Amino acid sequence: MEYAKENSIIEMMQTEFPEAHFTVKKERRIEVKMPSGRLYDFAVRMQKKWNFLHLSAISCVDWIDDGEFELVYHFWNYDEKVLVMAKIRIPREEEGDSHFETISNLWQPAKFFERDIHEMFGVYFDGSEDMERFILTDWTGPPPMRKDFITREFALNFYHYREYEPQWLKDMMAAGEGNE
Amino acid sequence: MSKIDEVRDYELFIGPNHPGIEGNFSFKMKLQGDKILSAKTDAGYLHRGFEKLMEERLFIQNIAIVCRICVPDPDPNENNYARAIEEIAGIEVPERAHWIRTLVLELSRLASHLFGLGGHVATTGLYAFPNWTIADRDRIMELFEELTGGRVYHIYQLPGGVRRDFPDGFERRVLDVMDYIESRLSDYDDLAINNSLFIKRATGIGVITKEQAIKWGVTGPNLRACGVAADVRKDDPYEVYDKLDFEIPTRTEGDAYARIIVRRKEIEQSISIVRQIIDKIPAGPVWNKIPNPLKWKVPAGDAYVRTESSKGEYAYYMVSDGGRNPYRVHVRGASTTHGVHVLENLLAGSRIEDASQIMFSLDACPPEVDR
Repeated sequence: MEYAKENSIIEMMQTEFPEAHFTVKKERRIEVKMPSGRLYDFAVRMQKKWNFLHLSAISCVDWIDDGEFELVYHFWNYDEKVLVMAKIRIPREEEGDSHFETISNLWQPAKFFERDIHEMFGVYFDGSEDMERFILTDWTGPPPMRKDFITREFALNFYHYREYEPQWLKDMMAAGEGNE
Repeated sequence: MSKIDEVRDYELFIGPNHPGIEGNFSFKMKLQGDKILSAKTDAGYLHRGFEKLMEERLFIQNIAIVCRICVPDPDPNENNYARAIEEIAGIEVPERAHWIRTLVLELSRLASHLFGLGGHVATTGLYAFPNWTIADRDRIMELFEELTGGRVYHIYQLPGGVRRDFPDGFERRVLDVMDYIESRLSDYDDLAINNSLFIKRATGIGVITKEQAIKWGVTGPNLRACGVAADVRKDDPYEVYDKLDFEIPTRTEGDAYARIIVRRKEIEQSISIVRQIIDKIPAGPVWNKIPNPLKWKVPAGDAYVRTESSKGEYAYYMVSDGGRNPYRVHVRGASTTHGVHVLENLLAGSRIEDASQIMFSLDACPPEVDR
């Protein structure tokens, strides 16, 4: 049977999380979408019961048109050699931070990923020890990875264009040389 | 507070340029005499906002950006980026291109390991060794220059294959360089790896146990030095790694010396892989034409692709919303764990003279952390 290993893992997880929606994306890749309130329980089960010991990454996607942030947790199982992507969506606050619960008490690597998401997207992870700025220590603007932060607009407001037409360039152009 | 207490405890800011790391990275340390009580990483010197830049550029334009995310080992970035697009858009890659990509990845691993070996040994004061390895690494840079036109950044792996086929006689020159590097390995051992000075300095330094390694999310050679035989090339095979015969060197000590031994042994494995590729590579086209890249809309979807870089697990999470630019690209560099909390955990309790060796033994790459 195709994807026998992946399907048996899904079957095992589905019994405990009937509300979650599982799909096999391809060999060794399982995707699961669930209500955000169930993620912490899922993460606990992943680590303590189902042996997904490696948290590969936490990604954040800003779905601005839906008014939501999507958090994607990538869990890897060293024995089964399967990666589970757990996807949840949380409301996107226009002013100030969105909030979600941390899993850094379960996985140390989560500390960095959550800190990074807080800095870049403005999602505060409640209960994390360290939500300080890491890369953008001097930054005072909005979280820059949000879709409504336009780099080009910011650059045009922050920096100033200056025409650069020195005499030697004008002379050169007048003589018919240069780019033209 | 007595007079001695006032001068015994102090804070030290190390960086952003220092011998312990392959880029700009700094630490705020609290010390008591020469003992480090705690260390906090301070990054951001190499932040270029690549993830944001990629969202505002065409899929094809980003190929020139992604390789710059990790300077000593750029090719896993190109590979991840190309494979993520291929997975989302369902593009087939010609068989020969898979083999060429694997060759490029292994050459990149060799170059990066030579760099890492030299850097690690230099932190103990043996400065002849890095001069040798950097000079030998240059032989690989020359191969890259011949194949791709670029020494450091190659911009070579496109969605659908690779940019061009081998030049005439390239296979022969690759084998020559492999023979040369293999002939140098015994010199490396004599000068550094089996040097009792180096062994004394590296043994028992920065020890990570197997349990800690799993808990802290350590990957790559650093994990294999703790006795876990995990490697993305074997566990989650990509390109043609499942058709190649190679071993995963492991050690159980988990200290700085075990980590350099694992890298040293991986050099032998990579040489063997490169030879197998030259031996078995099939003929055929190297690129399947993709739609006009200036108007190309990649269908909506997402993909999480992983490679084993010389530093560890290297992953990209790409989301496309059906537009001309990627909607989101998340870069998960191996150094995001090694360079930040693993290093903080290891530095606490060690001595200041070992700090730069612990850093380099983890082979953390600051541009990967900052992106």
